Amino acid sequence: MAGPLEGVRIVEMGQLIAIPSAMKWMADMGAQVIRLESVQRLESYRTDSLYHNDVDGEFWNRGANFYEQNRNKLGLTLDLSRDEGREVLRDLIAVADVFAENFTPRVVRNFGLEYEDLRKIRPDIIMVSSTGYGFEGPWANFGATGPATEGAAGLAYITGYRDGGPVMSEIPFTDYTAGEHTVAAVMLALMHRLNTGQGQFIDVSQTQTCSATIPEALLDWTVNGRMPERVGNEDPAMSPHGCYPCAGDDRWIAIAVDSDDAWLGLCRVMGRADWAADERYADVLSRIRYRTELDKMLGFETRNHDNHELMAQLQAGGVAAGAVADSEDLLFNEHLKERRFYEIVEHDDATGMPPLPYAGRPWKLSDTPSVPPKPAPIMGQHNRDILAGLLGRADGDIAALEEAQVIGFAPLSPRGVRRPSLDEQVRQGRMQRYETDYAERVAKWFGINR
Amino acid sequence: MNNGALAGVKVVDLTHHIAGPYGTKLLADFGADVLKIERPGGDPGRRLPPFYHDQPDAEKSLPFLYLNTNKRSITLNLKSETGRSILMDLLSDADAVVENFAPRVMPSLGLDADTLRKHNPKLVVASVSNFGQTGPWRDFRATEIVEYALGGLMYIFGAYDREPLKHALHQAQFKAGTNLASATLMALYHQRLTGQGQRVDVSIQESIASALRDVTNNYTYTGAVRRRQPNHTGDLTRLRAVSDGYVLPNPGMGATLDWKVMVDFLEAPELDDERFDNASARLENAEALGDILDQIFATKQKQEIFYAAHQKRFIYGVIDSPEETVDNPQIQARGYYVPVEHPDLGEITFPGAPFLMSGSPWAVTDAAPRLGEHTGAVLGDMGYSAQELTWLRASEVI
Repeated sequence: MAGPLEGVRIVEMGQLIAIPSAMKWMADMGAQVIRLESVQRLESYRTDSLYHNDVDGEFWNRGANFYEQNRNKLGLTLDLSRDEGREVLRDLIAVADVFAENFTPRVVRNFGLEYEDLRKIRPDIIMVSSTGYGFEGPWANFGATGPATEGAAGLAYITGYRDGGPVMSEIPFTDYTAGEHTVAAVMLALMHRLNTGQGQFIDVSQTQTCSATIPEALLDWTVNGRMPERVGNEDPAMSPHGCYPCAGDDRWIAIAVDSDDAWLGLCRVMGRADWAADERYADVLSRIRYRTELDKMLGFETRNHDNHELMAQLQAGGVAAGAVADSEDLLFNEHLKERRFYEIVEHDDATGMPPLPYAGRPWKLSDTPSVPPKPAPIMGQHNRDILAGLLGRADGDIAALEEAQVIGFAPLSPRGVRRPSLDEQVRQGRMQRYETDYAERVAKWFGINR
Repeated sequence: MNNGALAGVKVVDLTHHIAGPYGTKLLADFGADVLKIERPGGDPGRRLPPFYHDQPDAEKSLPFLYLNTNKRSITLNLKSETGRSILMDLLSDADAVVENFAPRVMPSLGLDADTLRKHNPKLVVASVSNFGQTGPWRDFRATEIVEYALGGLMYIFGAYDREPLKHALHQAQFKAGTNLASATLMALYHQRLTGQGQRVDVSIQESIASALRDVTNNYTYTGAVRRRQPNHTGDLTRLRAVSDGYVLPNPGMGATLDWKVMVDFLEAPELDDERFDNASARLENAEALGDILDQIFATKQKQEIFYAAHQKRFIYGVIDSPEETVDNPQIQARGYYVPVEHPDLGEITFPGAPFLMSGSPWAVTDAAPRLGEHTGAVLGDMGYSAQELTWLRASEVI
C-alpha cells in the first residue's frame, strides 16, 4: 500500500503556503488532492522565482514555489465568480471528504462556500479554513501573511539580537506552523469521522497556532507578569551557546555546551587546555556569568576552522555543534541523502525543466511510506480527467466551459516577475553567491539523467 | 478525559522535554488517553524555566504544566527488568507508544520497534529524534540552535552583516512535536482501517528543512545561494520601524499590486516614480526604495496604520509583545487564552486551542499531573496489590 490516506479525496482552494503545504503532505501520503485555481487570477507563486529567471513563454508552469507547495496534486482551473464554476465545485464537494481553503471569510461567503452550505451537499464533509487571525472575530477578514502572524502571535517581538529590535527569518515561517497544525487537525477530523460518521468545520488561526508554540514567554507574562528581553542566540541554561564565525566568507558554526563534559570536550577540540583549567569556567553558572568573554574567546578560535570539519571534530568530542548550512550544504548533504529526504520530481516535458530534487516530509512511515512523487500540475492539466472522468461531464459541456473561460489552460493576463541578474542580486545582498555549474552538480549528486 | 476526536485511543507516552510532549499534548487535548511514563527522577522538562512565581520546583515549571495537560503520570524505571515488563503489559492494549530518546536508547533497553510491534501488531511505534532513526548523523548531539543551523533556517535568519540568528525559545522542538502528532495520527488512521500498526520516524532537522520556502530551490532553479538580506532591499513586506513600534507593511502580492493606490495610502508622492511602479522595477531599484520606505514609516503609528491599511484590504501586520497579544481584541474575542485550574497552584491562564474543531473540540479537563500521581491507580488497575506496590517502590522500579 502506497500511503495511509489512500481513498481520501480533498478539494483544495488554497493559495501560497498555509493550506497548500499541508495538503501537499496529505497528497504525499496518498490522499487525492484536487487543487483549484483560475485563469482569471494568477497566484503569485506562479509568477515569481522562475526557472532560470525566465519570464518568456509559459512561465507560469515554471515557478519554484508552486512546484514546492503542490507536489502530487491534480490541477483544475475554475472561475468561481461564475455560476457554472460554482456548480462544478458543488459537484466536487458531493464526492469529497475534505474541503480545504485559505482565503478570507469574505471570499468564502461570497462564493457560498461556508461549512453550512457544504454540508447540505455532503453531510459528512470536513471543511478546514486557514486564516491569519481566525474565521470569526473582529479581525476575521483581515488578510495576513506569515510575517504578520509571527508578529501578532508574539514570536517576532521576543526574537532578535540583545541590542536590537525584533527580527524575522527570511521565510514566512508561521505559514508552515499553521500548515503543520492543519495536517494534525484534518487527521483528527478523519479519526472522528471514522468513530462517528460525522464531519465538521475546522477553524485554524495561524496566530493561535504560533502562540501555542511559545508558552514559555506567554506564561511568564500571564503568571509572573514578566516581559521577555531579546537575547539573540543565548540560552538561559547553557554557555557557551551561540553562532561563531569560521574560515571563509559568511561561514558559521552553532555550538551549544550543555554540560561540564561538553565544556571539557570543547576545550580539548579547540586545543585550549588553559580554558579547561580556568576555575572561572568550571561550572555552568560561572560560564553563564562570563558568557560575553567566552563567546569572544571562542569566536576568535573558531574563525581559523572550516565549519564542517570543526563540526565533525566537536561531535566526535561530545559537543553539540552544527555547521550553519547554506542552500548548497543543505542540498548536498550526506545524511539527508542517505535518508532519501529529497525526492526527485520529473517535470512535464512542456516545461523544458529537468528532473529536480525537492524537500520531502519530516516523517517516515514504515509500512505506508508515501506515493511516488509527481510534479505540481501545469495549469489546467487535469481539467478533463476531473470533469469527464470524475464528474462524468460530457465533451460538449467541457467545451462550453472552456469557451466561456470558466476553465482554461493559460492565464488570461500573464505577468511574470523578472528578477534582477544574479550579479545584481549578489550586489544588493539578496544572494550570497551563485554557481554556474549548479545544474551539473545537482544532476551528479542526485544521480539524475538529464 | 474529554469527548474529542480521539476518544478511545490509548497512547503510552515515553517522551520528555518539549518535542515529544507537545506531540502527545495535541493528542491528549483532543481526547486521547495519554499515559505519561516518567523516569523515577521525573521528566527533565519539569526543570524548564520559567517557574510559577519563580519558585524552582518539579511541580511548578510553566512549560511543563502547559506541555502535559490531560495526561496521567506514572513513574517507571525502564532500566529494571520489572519496569520493562510492566511497560510491556501496558503496551499490550495500547494503540500507540511515543518516545523521543536518542535513537540508541530504546534498542539498548531491548525495546526496539520490531520487538514492540511483535508484542502488539496493532501498535504504532512513533519516535521523534534530532536527525531521525537512520543515517550517518543519527547519533550526532543537538540542541535547538544546532537544529536551526543544520536544518537550513539559521543561515537566512538575522542581520546581513551579523551572525545568523535563531528564533527565541524552541520552535524546532514544537514543529517536530506537531509533525509527530500528524504522522502518528496518519498511522493510527491506517491502523483503524486495517488493524496494523507501524513504525513512525520523525526528524527535528527535517522538520526545519521541509518548511523552508525557496531555499534549496533557488539553487536548483538558478544556482543562487540565499542569505540574510540587508534592510535596504526594496522588499515591500519587510518589517519596518514606526514611531511607536514595528509593523509589517504588506500592500499585496507582487505582480498584481496597484502601485498608485499604495503611493496614495502612504502619502508619499516621492514613490510615484517609474523606478518603483512595477515589481521588476522595484527589484532593480531596491536600495533607493528601501531608504525612502524607512523614512516614510518612521512617521507612522502602529495601530493607526494597521487599521487604515486593512480598510484598503492591504495585509499589514503588527508586532505585538506578549502583553499586547494577550490583550489583542481579536484574540480576546476568540477566547484563546483559557483558565486552567491547578489543584495546588490555582488558576493559570494558558494559551488555548491552536485550532477550533466544531464537532470534536479541544479541551483541557485536567491539569498536568504531579510526578507519579497515577502510579498507584494505574498499577492497581493492572492487578498489583498494595504490598507489591510497596516492594516496587522500595526496589526503585516505580
